[in-house]
Order: sequence, then C-alpha cells, then structure tokens
Amino acid sequence: MTRTGKFLAGVFVALIAVAALFPSLLAPGSPLAVHPAEAFESPSLRHPFGTDESGRDIYTRVVHGTADSLTIGLAATGLGMGIAVVLGIITAFAPRWIDSVILRGLEVLYAIPTLLMALIIIAFTGPGTTPAIIAVGLSTAPGYARLIRTHLRTLVNSEMFDAATVLGHSTWRKVRNHLVPNTLTTLLALVTLGIGQAVIWASALSFLGLGTPPPAPEWGAMLASGRTYLHFAWWMTVFPGLAIVTVAAGATLLGRSVTRRST
Amino acid sequence: MAKFSSSQLKILATAAIGGLALAGCGDSGSTQDEAAGDPQSGGTLIYASGDAEPDCLDPHYGGNYPQGLISTQYLETLFTKNEDGETVPWLAESSEVSEDGLTHTITLTDGITFHDGTPLTSEAIKANIEHLQDPDTASSTGFLAVQKVEEVELVDDLTAELHLSAPDNALEESLSMHWTAIQSPDALARDVQENCEAPIGTGPFQVDSWDREQQINLVRNEDYVLPVEDPERENDLAYLDGITWRLIPEAATRYAALQSGEVHIIDNAQPDTIQSADNANIGHLDSPRPGASNRIELNSSQAPFDDQLVREAFIRAVDVDGGIQALFFDTAPRSHSLLSSVESLGYSDDALFYRDVDEANDLLDEAGWTDRDDDDVRMKDGERLEIVMPVSTNQSVPAEQSLFEQFQAQASEVGFDMQINLLDLSSWYAALAEHNYNLVSAPYTKVGPSVLRILYHSSSIEPAPSGYFANNAQVDIPELDEILIQAEETPDGAERADLYEQAQQMVLEDFYVLPLYDQQNHFLYTADVQGMGEASAIAAPEYYNVWLTQ
Amino acid sequence: MHIITWLARRVGAAAILLWLVATVIFIAIRFIPGDPAEAIMGGPGSQASAEALEAAREQYHLNEPILVQYGLYLGKLATGDLGTSYAQHRPVAQVMAEMLPATLQLTLIALVIAWLIAFVMAAIAARSSRIGQAMGTIIEVIAAAIPHFWLGAMLIIIFSTWLGWLPAVDTGTVQGIILPAVTLAIPLSGFLAQLMRDSLLTAMNSPFALAARARGASEGQVFFRHGFRHAALPALNLTGWAVAASISGAVVVEEVFARPGLGRSLLGAVLSRDMPMVTGIALFSALIYMVVMLVVETIEAFINPAAARGDDQ
Repeated sequence: MTRTGKFLAGVFVALIAVAALFPSLLAPGSPLAVHPAEAFESPSLRHPFGTDESGRDIYTRVVHGTADSLTIGLAATGLGMGIAVVLGIITAFAPRWIDSVILRGLEVLYAIPTLLMALIIIAFTGPGTTPAIIAVGLSTAPGYARLIRTHLRTLVNSEMFDAATVLGHSTWRKVRNHLVPNTLTTLLALVTLGIGQAVIWASALSFLGLGTPPPAPEWGAMLASGRTYLHFAWWMTVFPGLAIVTVAAGATLLGRSVTRRST
Repeated sequence: MAKFSSSQLKILATAAIGGLALAGCGDSGSTQDEAAGDPQSGGTLIYASGDAEPDCLDPHYGGNYPQGLISTQYLETLFTKNEDGETVPWLAESSEVSEDGLTHTITLTDGITFHDGTPLTSEAIKANIEHLQDPDTASSTGFLAVQKVEEVELVDDLTAELHLSAPDNALEESLSMHWTAIQSPDALARDVQENCEAPIGTGPFQVDSWDREQQINLVRNEDYVLPVEDPERENDLAYLDGITWRLIPEAATRYAALQSGEVHIIDNAQPDTIQSADNANIGHLDSPRPGASNRIELNSSQAPFDDQLVREAFIRAVDVDGGIQALFFDTAPRSHSLLSSVESLGYSDDALFYRDVDEANDLLDEAGWTDRDDDDVRMKDGERLEIVMPVSTNQSVPAEQSLFEQFQAQASEVGFDMQINLLDLSSWYAALAEHNYNLVSAPYTKVGPSVLRILYHSSSIEPAPSGYFANNAQVDIPELDEILIQAEETPDGAERADLYEQAQQMVLEDFYVLPLYDQQNHFLYTADVQGMGEASAIAAPEYYNVWLTQ
Repeated sequence: MHIITWLARRVGAAAILLWLVATVIFIAIRFIPGDPAEAIMGGPGSQASAEALEAAREQYHLNEPILVQYGLYLGKLATGDLGTSYAQHRPVAQVMAEMLPATLQLTLIALVIAWLIAFVMAAIAARSSRIGQAMGTIIEVIAAAIPHFWLGAMLIIIFSTWLGWLPAVDTGTVQGIILPAVTLAIPLSGFLAQLMRDSLLTAMNSPFALAARARGASEGQVFFRHGFRHAALPALNLTGWAVAASISGAVVVEEVFARPGLGRSLLGAVLSRDMPMVTGIALFSALIYMVVMLVVETIEAFINPAAARGDDQ
C-alpha cells in the first residue's frame, strides 16, 4: 500500500472508531429527539444531511447509527467466524470420514443463499436485532468454515510444517510457531472482509422490516423509512446508504491490504 | 318504494383532480368533466393496492377492509347508503320492521341474476345469513353484524323474514356492508376454499382469475342488471372491460407506478404523495371510512393505565397536532371523537385534548409516580413506568408509525418508558389476545354508531368465540353497557342519538381513548380516469360508472 | 475410480444431504412456539373457531404421533409433494412452479449483465497502468459494497422519477426488467471482476501469451485467445456461487420493484410464518445449487479426470 493509501486508511479507521465509540464528539445532538415542526428539511448548514419525517437530524442519526450497524456487523461476523473456526479445526485435523461428512454438510448450508438462510432463521426466531445477528452469523459461517479448512489443510501439508516435523518439533511448537500466526492473519483478513458484507446483510434485514426496529438509528432501518419518502425527500435514503457503502467498501479495501501483506 | 338514480343513491366521496388542472393552466389542464366528454366503454382499469393480499376473495370469510375494497366490485349488498348518509335499499326493494322490532321483512328486487346465471331469490338471503353464522366460514365482521338474527323464514320467492333475538336498529346498516354481501347459494355450497378463489355475486364485474401475489383479474359482468333505475345510463353494463387489481405493497413504488402511468389508481396513498399529487395532475379521492375514528386506546385493565390520572398524563404529554401536521400535511384533519366524521351521531370534544407537559408531570406526581431511575424513567413502589404499544405494520401506514415514534420520544420526556413493537398482523392479534399491551391503535370499520357497542361494551372484553375482542381499552362501566344496549334497541331516533352522545361522553371524559384522525382511505388516480367518486356504504370506491379516456 | 462411479457417489451424497436438511427443518418446525393449526388458519389473530382449528389439525395430520408425521412428511417429499401452504392453501410445489420462471428470468439476465460488466471492468483494469488498476480496484470494491435495496432506490429516483425513462414497477415488459436486472447485476459484477482480474493478469503474463506475442500476435488477439480463455475457467467454477448470490439478491430486488417471484414469496412466507412455503423454498434453492455444482464438477471432471479422482483440496 502506498503512503497516501495508508494515511487514508488510518483516517478512515479512526473516523469510524470515533463515530462508533464517541459519536457525540462528531454529532453532539440526540439521534432520537423529535422536532415535528422541522420535519423533511433538505440538507443545509444547520442539517448537513437534512431531517427526517419527525424532524430528527439525519447527520446525527447516521453518526450515532455507526455503533448500531457496526455492532451488528461485528457480532454477526464474530459468531459466524467462531462457528467456522471450530468446524474448520475439526475438519482439518479429524479423521477423513468426519471431515467428509462435515464438508458435505457445509456444502449444503453453503448451498442455501445467504439471505435466504437468514430469512429462514428469522422465520423461526421472529424479527429483531438479536435474531438478525444470529441469522447473519449462522448464514455466513459455512463460507468461512470452508475457507478456514482449506487454509489449515494447506498449512498442515506445507513444506514448512513438514520441515518442522523432520526437525522433531513437538506438535504444540508447530501449532504455536507456524499455525497460529499464519491463521490469525488470515482470520483478521477474513473478519475485515466479512464485516462489510455482514453490515450489508444486516441492513438488508432491517430494510425488509426483520432486523433492528425504528426509531434506532440503524442504517438499514433508516433506509426503510426513507424509502417511503423517496420521491421528495431523497436525502433520507441517500445518506444512510452512503454510510453503508463507505463502511462496506472501506472494510473490504482494508481486508484486501491485510491479505496482501500476509501472503 | 321510490327509485333513485344510482349516482344519487351512492355516497359521493370527495374527488378532485390536482390544483393545476382546476386552475386551467397548460394544455392538459382542464377540469376532467368538461374536457372528457361522454363516457366511453372499453379499456381495463389497472388498480394498485398496497394492502396485504386477501386470503380469500369472499368477504364473509374473516372480513377485513381489503376484502371489502375488492368485493365491492363484484358483490352487492341488500342495502347501501345514499349521499345524505341514509341507509337505503339496493338489492332489496323494500323492508319493514315489526312493531316489537323483532322481525325484519325484506323484499328483493325482481330480475337480478348471479354471475352463474341463477336468479336472486329470498333463498339467497337465508343461505347468506346461514353462511355467515356457520363456524366453518370463519367469519368475524359479518358474523358480528348478523349476530342477532336467529332465523330466516322464506315468505315467497322474493320475500324473507329475519327473526331476531333482540331488537336491532342497526341491522340494515349492518346489511349495507360488503362483509354481509349476497352471494349465489349454489356458490356458497361449494368448498370454502373454492368459494374463496372466485365468489359469485351479482355485481357489475366478476372474478376471472387470481394470480397469487401478483394480481386479481376482474372482467365486466355482461348480464349486469342495475337494481335501481338510472336515467343517465343507456344500458346497465359497466364502462370498463375489466379491472386488474395489482398488488404493490411498497408505497413509494406504488406512487412511482402511478406517476409513470403504469397503473391508473392506487390506494393507501401516503400523505406526502397526496400533497404532491395536487401539482402533478393526479386526482385524489378521499373516502373516510365509517365506524370508529382512528384512535389510540389506553388499556385500563392493568397498571399503569388503570389509573385515570396516568391516562390523562399520557394524553397531555404527546403532541398529536404537531405530529399530524408534519406527517400528514393537510390530508388528515384532527379528530376529537370516537366516531368517524361521516357518522352523523359522532360526538366531539376538542377541549379535552391538548398538550401540556407541565400538567402531565403534575398528574404523574399526583398519581404517585415520583421516583426516577437512572434513565430518568418514573418509578412507583419499585415499578418502572413502562408502557407497551404493539403496532401492526399491515394496518398502520408509515406516517402513522412515525407519529407513534414521536409519541414515544415525547412520552419519555415526562418519564414514560414507551416501547413500540412493530408486528405483522397475526403477531399483533396475538399480543392483544395475551393482553400484552398498554396502548393500541386498532381500526374498526362498521356502518353506523352501533360500532360503539362493539368497541366499549364490557361484553366485548370477553373474546368472541373467534378469539378477538374489540374493547381494547377494556372499558367496563355497567351504566355505559346499559346505555349502549338501549341505544341499539330503541325505535326512537332522537332517543338513540341522545343515548349514543351520553355513551361517547363517558368514554372520552375518562380518557380511555386518544382520538387522532379519521381512518384514512385515500386514493390517487391519473387524469385518464373519469367518473370517480361513488363509494359503497363502507366507503370503498365503486368503478361501475368509471371510464377511461383513450 | 471410474467417472460413472464417481458421479453416482456424488448424486448419492447429494440425496443424503437433502434428506438431512429436510430432517433438520422438520425438527426445527416442531420447536417453533405456537400452534401450527393457528398458523394454518392465518395466525392467532385469524379468529378461527375451535372447530376450524380441529379440522385444520386433522387435515394436516397434526394429531398423529410425531414419527408418523415425520414419515408422512418424508414420503411426500420423495414424491415431490412439498406440502400445502398455510397462507395460500395451495400446494407449495404449485406456488413455486408459478414463481420460478420470473425469478429464473431475473437472475439469468442479471448474471449475463454481471458477467459482461465484470469482464469489461477486468479487461480494462488488466491492461491499464498501476493507477488505472488501483482505480479499477476501488470501483470494483465499491460496486460490491452497494446494497441492492439502496441501488434499486437510487435507480428508481434517477431513471423513473426524474428522467421518466424506465418503469419503477416490473410489469413483465422488456423495459420493466431492465432496472431490476441491473440492480441485481452491479454488486455481483463487482465481486466477479475482482476475482476475474487476477486470473486475467496471470493469463496475460503466462508463457502461452508471451509465445503468442513473440509470434507477432497483436495484444487484442493475445487477450481474446489466451487471457479470456484462461479467465473463463475459474469463472465457471464461480457459477454456483454466483447463482446463489443472485438468488439472495433477488429477494430484495423483487421486493423493491414489486416483481413477483420466489424471493418475494419467501419474504411473505417468513412474515406470515408459512412454514411449508419456507421449507419448500429452502429445499428447492439447496437443490438448485447442488444441481449447478454437480454439472460444474462433472464438466471439470471430464476436462481434468485427475481432479475428480484426487481428494477434495
């Protein structure tokens, strides 16, 4: 990555972190306070992103929504990755028939498209923030598990690993010196790449009315309410959407640079 | 009895094409009636509905408003409402009530046939009432409407006597609703499911086919006979070849389809689009539903709203007028009544409803909710001041959901912790059935003030055999019960009006209800659509006299 | 191992997995709180009478012992009977058969558009300077990061509300499918372009390409003869994934453009807890994926039998 690239990435991460952890530094107002008299104001100096149907400031809501949207994305990715790591380790080291069974099982789960799987899970749990996290986490897990399994298998069969075996290193030492560092970098890259997609899936669920309910400033939920007023209050839809694109694209670019460094 | 022209006989809802058109600006900007000329036959009207797709096209089954909207086109009722809001015969030619009020004699108009070719006879009245009362039909609205009918006796081919268990001065109003529409006895004898697919009535259109989740196709009934005489009509047939009833649940998409001319009429129009329609040469039909107003009911059966002070405090805390103005522009005038503005016996008291945050705080202090927790929510004896409002996303349009969100924010300013649960219709009913609510907005459409008995009589707290109870505020006042029963049984119109006024005062003054506005029923249509404005007794637009400029 | 045996094993494995999925779904449905009879009658709010509920239990065999119900369920599945929709009171298979063509049409057109965009983007990026490539990467990443529902809304604002060029609702006309298909294609093309570019770059610098250049072939010839061909193989491998991804996207796109299809049916079924419909669509989409993968793997196995015989890595 170039120096400018690194600088930009740093600024991006810092901004997102501040927005998520200390939103009031960027937007001191309340994201929930209603002012019916100021409803549907177009973007101006006072309201850079305009106001929504209840006169809430959209800039404030987008900033405060970072925490909501990112938490869901992180939690879902964490859940999916947790399951995937366990399954990946089992399949990479267990006897071949167990590997085979789990692998085929994963393939079936992988066969059900992500959003379909999330919807099916929500049919059982009912809508809400936690169900959305579970749904996105579970439906992304099979994909991760396959990647992790391949990664571990490649490592175990690698020359480096063989060399360590020839040298008589203990299993624990091999795992500590070769497997863990290598795998962590890969996981980091996968997590970074995954958060972006998880944010998109979770906001899609909110958009369909199955995720975080209003008035929480979650971006997908904001888009859902903005859609009603699409033809005359475009700012209600444009800005939360831009926030999703920025975070998802930013996470992907970061993830790619992590991947490139690790290989 | 005297016959009227159909246009005189029908309710005329307020229809207006955009302000631009009325001002006469631009080439296309002439008022529709002047420019359009004589009605032309032909063309298929494309209607886009935002309602949930009906489970069943027979409005006897269940009985909700979307079923009423569509069945108005292919089924007809025994009675209807005229321009002045009076109940008048339609398929019936005349009716008589006995001295004791226990027998209604209904004589049918001769020469009407069903879509299947069978003639309309008194046998149909019997078959339809029995169908509504049959548990297998799973009727709710229609079932309640004909509850007092014990037996239908056939006098001759066209005359039937309805014997009641108690006098019911609302019976003819009930029989003007499409949830009690008359269908072919042969068709009703079919399997419930088969009847749901394609009910057979006498209306100007008939059901042709149903592409699930997409559209319902109606075609002109080529043998239609108008039950009344209309000098303006050369023949009795509808002008339109048919109606395509499309399902477009999403409001913005629906409006975009109207703007681009892909559809002719949309329902459930959003307030903002109604406002901008004025500048876009798009017509607007406002057809407020009869029955109850759109209101929030406060559940008085459990804490904290079992305390009248707390109910009043909530009403003082929220800014109804500001919210309606911001969200509904000028499309929904504020109501201060339990009944719809089209109900002539509605009683209104605007002095009861105003916002005063200080007063709300004082009331809560007085009620003993004086402690505060870390989130600044009021507490009393260790209990938090929590209130739950389940909201049906099928019934509350987005603007209304936003209004409730505003109430949530405003109620929190005086120390309420108000939780809004957005639910699909089925879960919403379940929340009510489990008494898991403190506030609720439940629409109820019925013709006439007898809706008050359904909504506020203590017997309506007990769930009907169907599982639904309509007295969501759980008002339980013996004196009120008596007034409501008396009002329904008295043959004296003036006494009836007086009793209903007393009943409404009692409910309003004890703050069981926060009235908002009429049940919204707005339609937008393109400039091609002519002759809009007639509506059935339940305020569903009729397309019999509607035609398209080519 | 002979290729027929290999194929038979694969088909057998797929069948066993479908059975597993069906079983998991059957068990999961039993864990849903609430009375299935009520769901059949339209939910707790449908005001169904006790008699009607009992009749529904009878009709859907809800009174039988659980193992009998499971047996009936599997027996029906085996004959392609996916049960009767609670909400629509019609066979699930019939509803799906009606909805499938619309969804297939949308996803296939979107896939073609996505491949075209991805190919053009990858081709341009692969042949441009370092800065051009960086720009290409950013465009691809952004395309892949756009949520369908937002893109659809933006396209409606621009092409329908402002310009009035294309309908916002898909009425089944040729113009009607343009916006939904493009909405579905753009994010997909971002993913595909990212993956394709790497293989294109590799191919363009491969010994074949160098040899062709040495023989005096033009860059264009090299690109189409070698680069494209080599990039197409990994693309084939991605088809299964792309089909699955576009079905996911179709749920949202069908909803945004009010287009009937499997996705919208599923959404409706989830909202009304119409479990036979939900499970039917789930099983069916798994089946589609398995068939696509089986075809892809078989083609690959014929091209390169060693891969089929070797282990799965």
